[in-house]
Amino acid sequence: MSNTATRIRIAGAVVAAAASIAGLAACSSPAPSGDAAAAAPAAACEPAKGNVTLQYWNTVPGMDQVVALWNKNNPNIQVEMKNISNDQYGTIGNALKAGKAPELAQVGYDELPDLRTQNAFVDASACADATAAKSKFVPWTWSQTSFGDTGVFAFPQDTGPMALYVRSDIFKKHDLEIPKTWDEYAADAQKLHDADPNLSITFFDPNNAEWFNGLLWQNNAEMYGYAGDKWHVTVESDQSKQVAEYWQKLIDAKLVRTDLAHGSTPMYAAYQKNQIATYVGAAWGYSMFRDNLPDQSGKWTIVPMPTWGSSAASGDWGGSTVAFMKGNTHLYESVKFNSWLNTDPEALALENKLGGLYPAATAGSALPALAEGVPYYNNEKIFDVFADSSKNIDTSFTWGPTQKTVNLALQDALAKATAGDGKLADALTAAQAAALKSMQDQAIPAVAGN
Amino acid sequence: MTDIATRGTRVVATTGGRSRHNGGGPRAGTIAAFLIPFFLPFVLFYLVPIAYAIGQSFLVVRRTGGQYGTSYTTFGGFDQYVQVFQNTEFWSSIGRIGLFGIVQVPVMLFVALIMALLLDTPLLKLKAFFRIAAFMPYAVPGVIAAIMWSFLYSPQLSPVVDLLKAIGLQPDFLGPGAVLWSAANVSTWLWTGYNMLIMFSALQAIPQELYEAAKLDGASNWAIAWKIKVPIIAPSIILTTVFSIIGTLQLYAEPAVLRQISSNISSTFTPNMLAYAVASGNNYQQAAAISVVIAVITFVLSFGFMRLTSKRAGL
Repeated sequence: MSNTATRIRIAGAVVAAAASIAGLAACSSPAPSGDAAAAAPAAACEPAKGNVTLQYWNTVPGMDQVVALWNKNNPNIQVEMKNISNDQYGTIGNALKAGKAPELAQVGYDELPDLRTQNAFVDASACADATAAKSKFVPWTWSQTSFGDTGVFAFPQDTGPMALYVRSDIFKKHDLEIPKTWDEYAADAQKLHDADPNLSITFFDPNNAEWFNGLLWQNNAEMYGYAGDKWHVTVESDQSKQVAEYWQKLIDAKLVRTDLAHGSTPMYAAYQKNQIATYVGAAWGYSMFRDNLPDQSGKWTIVPMPTWGSSAASGDWGGSTVAFMKGNTHLYESVKFNSWLNTDPEALALENKLGGLYPAATAGSALPALAEGVPYYNNEKIFDVFADSSKNIDTSFTWGPTQKTVNLALQDALAKATAGDGKLADALTAAQAAALKSMQDQAIPAVAGN
Repeated sequence: MTDIATRGTRVVATTGGRSRHNGGGPRAGTIAAFLIPFFLPFVLFYLVPIAYAIGQSFLVVRRTGGQYGTSYTTFGGFDQYVQVFQNTEFWSSIGRIGLFGIVQVPVMLFVALIMALLLDTPLLKLKAFFRIAAFMPYAVPGVIAAIMWSFLYSPQLSPVVDLLKAIGLQPDFLGPGAVLWSAANVSTWLWTGYNMLIMFSALQAIPQELYEAAKLDGASNWAIAWKIKVPIIAPSIILTTVFSIIGTLQLYAEPAVLRQISSNISSTFTPNMLAYAVASGNNYQQAAAISVVIAVITFVLSFGFMRLTSKRAGL
């Protein structure tokens, strides 16, 4: 390649770049006019004249069979589903940008404010069935999907109320009581470690912000509030610091492992080798242990999460909603399908069986699969524990509008701390700063503190 | 484009007298027919996205109204670039990757060169086997290779770790200090064979007469390797170095996979991982600016290296 040719090519590239910069005015999206800037009014809720086909995107295993059941009984409202588990939020985000969002999409609770900030949803509250659905769901889930009763943007689907999974055989062997408070849990951790240095009470995965957030939720560590036209960021609070400092103590004393990633093969291997005695988990975890550690059948029991004080309190880890997406012109039909999908016993039973979903609908606890004892857990009625847990979840907890970025910052800083660089509490400072910075980047008015 | 145009003219000049073609019509059509299959996707999937990213990098997000509001973008000048330059995470990812490249690229290319020279000696038996064996890892997709290695690194699963523990060592391949080199090892395993093959094919092109002449002059095999073969294939070595510099700056798959089992790889471990993390937080404009800066750094480093070495090597 001659030098001249190179130069000409570079020049060409520069010209192309300059041209694209010149075309920027066309690139940027215009500011909305005054009317459009106001909160979008609830869309109308009229039944369509003819047949309707709805698009529904989700990540739930076996959901195609649930949708097929609906389609068989509802020839006038056909649903086409797409599994987007490869890149759930990437796919949804791109579709929104292209103006091709489906009518309905699965969105996690912690992603609802983030997507709403991108105008991803329509308010279905014009549909009488949508507002009436409130009574059919566990209270905290409705407060998330209605954004504190300001509209109906999604229906809750499943939840992850937290509880403590305990290897009762290990506890019995070391003559330990099952812990009721976090203090008792720490004492048990010490006793297990003293008895066998290779045995840990649990593991702390710094790369799992969703889990850590569940712990914060349990301690009423409200991360966000909104008042006076501004978001108030309180990721770093006395309650969140209490949680961080508690786990820091366990880590410093080497009572918990920090080298296992949640759900990874090494994590299952550690449980398989009887190196870990408990698991602080969510309702959907029951099938993880059942399916991955079949030889430990009968050795596990599930009890309420240890508490900070004397009163019962729990947190949620995971779970999803089915949201009404922007551009949905078939709200009437969408509400019909969405409420069948998430409140009808037949649909709930199928979703539980095929996808392992723990329903957000109150009718869920009456399902035979959830009312009976589970063989793997000594035929204990483990779902009663999760149902109680769900009732004890703080309903005012709010996720932030840039939660994904905050979670990444939290994880990176927690990982630094577990590698010996700083403390877990520093991660809260880092997450607080990331929250404020990312909100500033998205032009969302925010201040630190209450 | 200019390259091809120049060559085209040369062809016309040398064959001019005998050419049966009159005028440029059919020739232009032929050229276009050959070029369009390349240029159309090149423009659509290469130039347009680059121009789009550059465009995005000059925008900022603004918002009107309420708790959730409505967002729009507007021209923000060099705002996003100022933020990139102020971003300590960005510079530490560049520093990390710089350290990675300074160590991994020379090690990998040196091993590749030795392997290529060995394959080129008449002493080695089973050449075809060794050539294929060395090239094999390149046929394994990067993500699969990283998953495989992650099992070998994991203290819970790895027979290698068990073996080292049995002889009294306490290896921690996923620890905060070691994990960068564990990722470098995966890259080296993946790419050494590929680089070796480029060097080996250059060696194959050297005429045998040169070796005969050298032998007549009493040169040893060693002297032939270092004084004749290596200087002649210098352009290939430079080429593989440039590829490796580019590959290093774009490092993503290996650390992203190892991140699944090691919390010592942060979400901003490499520049590309940082850009991805920023984009996943909906800050496309900032991610675009980061991408443009990475591209410029890659461009400067690879062309800088080519300039530097082509002068030295007298190419």
